[in-house]
Amino acid sequence: MTQILIQGMLLSGLYALIAMGFMLIFSIGRTLNLAYGAYLLVGGYVYFWLCQQMGLPQIVGFAGAVTAGVLMGLLKHRLIVKTLNGDHVAIEISTLILAVVLQAGVVLLFGDSSKILLPIVPGVVTVAGAQVTFNILTATLISWAVIIGLYLYISRTHTGRAMQAVSMDAKGAALSGVDPDRINLITWGISGGLGALGGVFFASYTQLYPGMWVAPLIISVAVVIVGGIGSILGTLVVAHIVGFMEVGVSSWSPELRGVFTMILIVAVLVLRPQGLFGREETH
Amino acid sequence: MLVLEIENLSAFYGKAQALREVSLTVNEGECIAIVGANGAGKSTLLDSIMGLVKTRGTVRLHGEDITGLRCAQIVKRGVGYAPERFNLFPHMTVRDNLLVGAFTARNEIAKNLDAVHRLFPRLAERENQETSTQSGGERQMVSLGRALMSSPNVLLVDEPTIGLAPKVCGELAKVLQRLSKEMGLTVIVTEQNANFAISLAERLYVLEGGRITAQGTAADLSKDDILAKSYFGA
Repeated sequence: MTQILIQGMLLSGLYALIAMGFMLIFSIGRTLNLAYGAYLLVGGYVYFWLCQQMGLPQIVGFAGAVTAGVLMGLLKHRLIVKTLNGDHVAIEISTLILAVVLQAGVVLLFGDSSKILLPIVPGVVTVAGAQVTFNILTATLISWAVIIGLYLYISRTHTGRAMQAVSMDAKGAALSGVDPDRINLITWGISGGLGALGGVFFASYTQLYPGMWVAPLIISVAVVIVGGIGSILGTLVVAHIVGFMEVGVSSWSPELRGVFTMILIVAVLVLRPQGLFGREETH
Repeated sequence: MLVLEIENLSAFYGKAQALREVSLTVNEGECIAIVGANGAGKSTLLDSIMGLVKTRGTVRLHGEDITGLRCAQIVKRGVGYAPERFNLFPHMTVRDNLLVGAFTARNEIAKNLDAVHRLFPRLAERENQETSTQSGGERQMVSLGRALMSSPNVLLVDEPTIGLAPKVCGELAKVLQRLSKEMGLTVIVTEQNANFAISLAERLYVLEGGRITAQGTAADLSKDDILAKSYFGA
């Protein structure tokens, strides 16, 4: 039981980080970025290439992964989102195709077999009788630090407030001197960086393989739909619900991992479409 | 000195034309009103000045052609806009709404916040209240306050009296007069309520079907029987 609680707590922190980038785009850009998982894929592989194939220090691996994610986010906004000018269906289909193309690119460059990403911090510690790897502990602590930093950025800075403003009323934001297009670009960049960082941790927790973008995408969709649009608190709480649920179900029946998450999504969509922490849109 | 010059401005929503060759001028520190019925094109005219609508024609601010600039660039050049529907950020506090308004004037936040609180003391009292829970009159104050936070020298106000009680309309008229007379702002107000417009503006333009059909002082316009009956209740 203690093992489940501790593993659930740690995994939830990582899920919260992964879902946060998806939530930003969904809330501010109002786009269901189905290629979000591709940031994690690219982040994981860039880190693997720099650290394990090139032998560079971990800090270079992290910087390279996050830079690749940010660049992907910026390019995706400029080349796809802006070009398609608010056509959400076309954007969603295009981003999904992009994820598939990136997966093919990864297969071409690295092959289709799974790779083991070495632990970021090796070793195991015993906490209240439960075995916890330093790897997941580090991932969780860094995830929490990034989430707190993101919260402070969004709530305390001019650009963060402008991001909130664009998510609530883009015209009102423009009339306040905010350029919604620029704010969207920044958001896509931040989202890409968060996704890529999450990808390094996710790959080190699971495995690195070309199809690894799908599972985090499903987790992100679940967390944001259940938590509600635009709610950092909702994202945090629901990431923990999903994390604990997955760890608990896995310990009981690994084949059913993910099934309860899907049931939760459908239940929330039917009973409370705005999400547990979301508020109804006011116009 | 001319602050704003609009020449042959036409505006379009897709294929539909909402403004037809509108021309008008506004002098520094002047308060003018655009009067017209629902659908006459008043909001479209202000949206066009702010670069929010596809247009043809020219808009000059202090002699600079601002046609085709983005809304944020126009705000940065000194035009504030309080729209008819307020377009506030409903789940942000009054204070945060005002702070977003200061996005292009971050060095003048303290001064502008103080000025807004002096104009609307109620906003200081309720600065931690979310705007989604406020009355129409309070939202109008936040909307005007937010526009003033950008340190504008031209203020556009779209139909400020819609849905407001007569007492609140009177207070609003006083505030707009103070902004123009005491603070030197150039104010452009659109209104269906012509009597409110007369109480404020030195000159009026009448907008019908997207065209300017008459202009002049209230005294000039009230000499026209048809206009007087249509707009001034004569």
